[in-house]
Amino acid sequence: MSAVRALLDKEFRQLGRSRGALVSGTLLPLLLLVLVPLPQLVGLQAAPLLPKDLPLPPGFSDIGDPQGLFALVLYPLFVTITGLIVPSLAATYSIVQERERRTLELLVALPLTVTQIVTAKLLSLLVLSVVLVFPFYAIGATTLLILNVISVWRSALLLLLLSAALICSTCIALVLALLAKDFRTANNLNGVLFLPIIMLMAGLLLAVPGEGKLVVMSVALLACAGLALVIAARWISFERYLE
Amino acid sequence: MASAIAFESASRRYRNGVLALDAVSFSIEEGARTCLLGPNGAGKSTAIRLLQGALRPTSGRVTLLGATLDDPLHEQARRRTGIVPQRPGMYPDLTVDEHLTLARRLYGRGDIEATIEAFGLGPHRAKTLASLSGGFQRRLVLATALLSQPEVLLLDEPTVGLDPVASHDVEAMLRDAMRGRTTLLCTHDLAEAEALCEDVIILRDGEVLLHQPIAMLRGRVKARVRVQARSPEALRGALARRGLTWTEDGDAVLLALDAPREMPDLLRGLLAEGVDVFASTPLSVTLEEIFLEAVRQ
Repeated sequence: MSAVRALLDKEFRQLGRSRGALVSGTLLPLLLLVLVPLPQLVGLQAAPLLPKDLPLPPGFSDIGDPQGLFALVLYPLFVTITGLIVPSLAATYSIVQERERRTLELLVALPLTVTQIVTAKLLSLLVLSVVLVFPFYAIGATTLLILNVISVWRSALLLLLLSAALICSTCIALVLALLAKDFRTANNLNGVLFLPIIMLMAGLLLAVPGEGKLVVMSVALLACAGLALVIAARWISFERYLE
Repeated sequence: MASAIAFESASRRYRNGVLALDAVSFSIEEGARTCLLGPNGAGKSTAIRLLQGALRPTSGRVTLLGATLDDPLHEQARRRTGIVPQRPGMYPDLTVDEHLTLARRLYGRGDIEATIEAFGLGPHRAKTLASLSGGFQRRLVLATALLSQPEVLLLDEPTVGLDPVASHDVEAMLRDAMRGRTTLLCTHDLAEAEALCEDVIILRDGEVLLHQPIAMLRGRVKARVRVQARSPEALRGALARRGLTWTEDGDAVLLALDAPREMPDLLRGLLAEGVDVFASTPLSVTLEEIFLEAVRQ
């Protein structure tokens, strides 16, 4: 553990010096959790009620008004997408750059295992993502609480969903680290790996009724994270990481 | 004496099918300084990677300070080993001080101040690694490898890509650093190998061609003498009459002798025959010649 702590300190020191990357890293969560959803909510206030006889998927069964549609479908989707994309972008930047710069060779010369190197990198990415995303979630959720769109309980469930998405994305970044050799491959893989998960989440939003969908989605994301960890644990080696 | 480094029928095949090492066996005793020579693709860097634990042998065993990669003691063995990788990348956002601090935390020991002093890194300690010149980057990598006073040094082409001045500086530091330490030096630079090591292992196509002390290897190659006479034709004629063979070297001839002690008799004979020999210079056998002969065989 002391080796991982030493590496974490190094990662945080380096992240702290990448101010440009940190500033640009805040744009996506600002956009997806505050700037885009809140005007949508304002727009939805003027929308008519859903017709009672309209055939709707189970996920919409208990949604009676536009605010409900926003709170149980649109905002959870924004939260999920933010949680999935932010760590993966940071991982692409951090892991692929380390490989391209050949700085991994410097670490491999030190008494470290590949597991320690990757664990430290992913933990630092998870912490970075939390630092980048949670403040904007706090702003968005507080605004929705003030506007009486969500309850405290629902905001807690959304926070659970956001945390699960961040963990899922970080674990998938581990697989990405083993597969992507350059930025272009990494970006392509991001699409290949995350699109099915986003589709799955959209499917769950439509299929599961009530607040329970937020728990089901969180569990599904954590299951994806577990699967990514199992795959990575079987594959991970210096040979794959270095080449 | 115990082996600090041992390869026992160790093979390594990469995922792309390339067989980098093919049932290689050799051992290096504690305190020995050995150079690993070989043309590109001979398997030198793979051997270093196996020792540092970055790769596993496909078959056979590789031990570092008595521990294989699966041995719980391997982690300790790694902490007792300093490694200089071949031209690693340098962080643009980590300073010399921070890098050495990281290394000390990972090795669990080391005197940063003394190391910075020894390697002349004092004026550069607040600079980022990527902003150092090539020579100072290599000094830093060497300083990192030696920070914990390791028992074993693995050096993968430590002076490659450096200008002659920086190369000379690093070589001088290596000479000090290698004293009393088991060292495996991978290099293309035969003069460097000859200056720094006592033993040589020559690899080709993943196999060990030879592993011997350099002094003993010199005995394998015939001694040569460069002979010059006022009349080169007369000299060649006299040598031909004696059944000797030679190679041309400008106005001179190069003679390969089975027994160098015969040279005085030969010179007396040539002079008595009227061949005006005015220079006879024994040539020392270089590691390059030994290497080329071994690789060509």
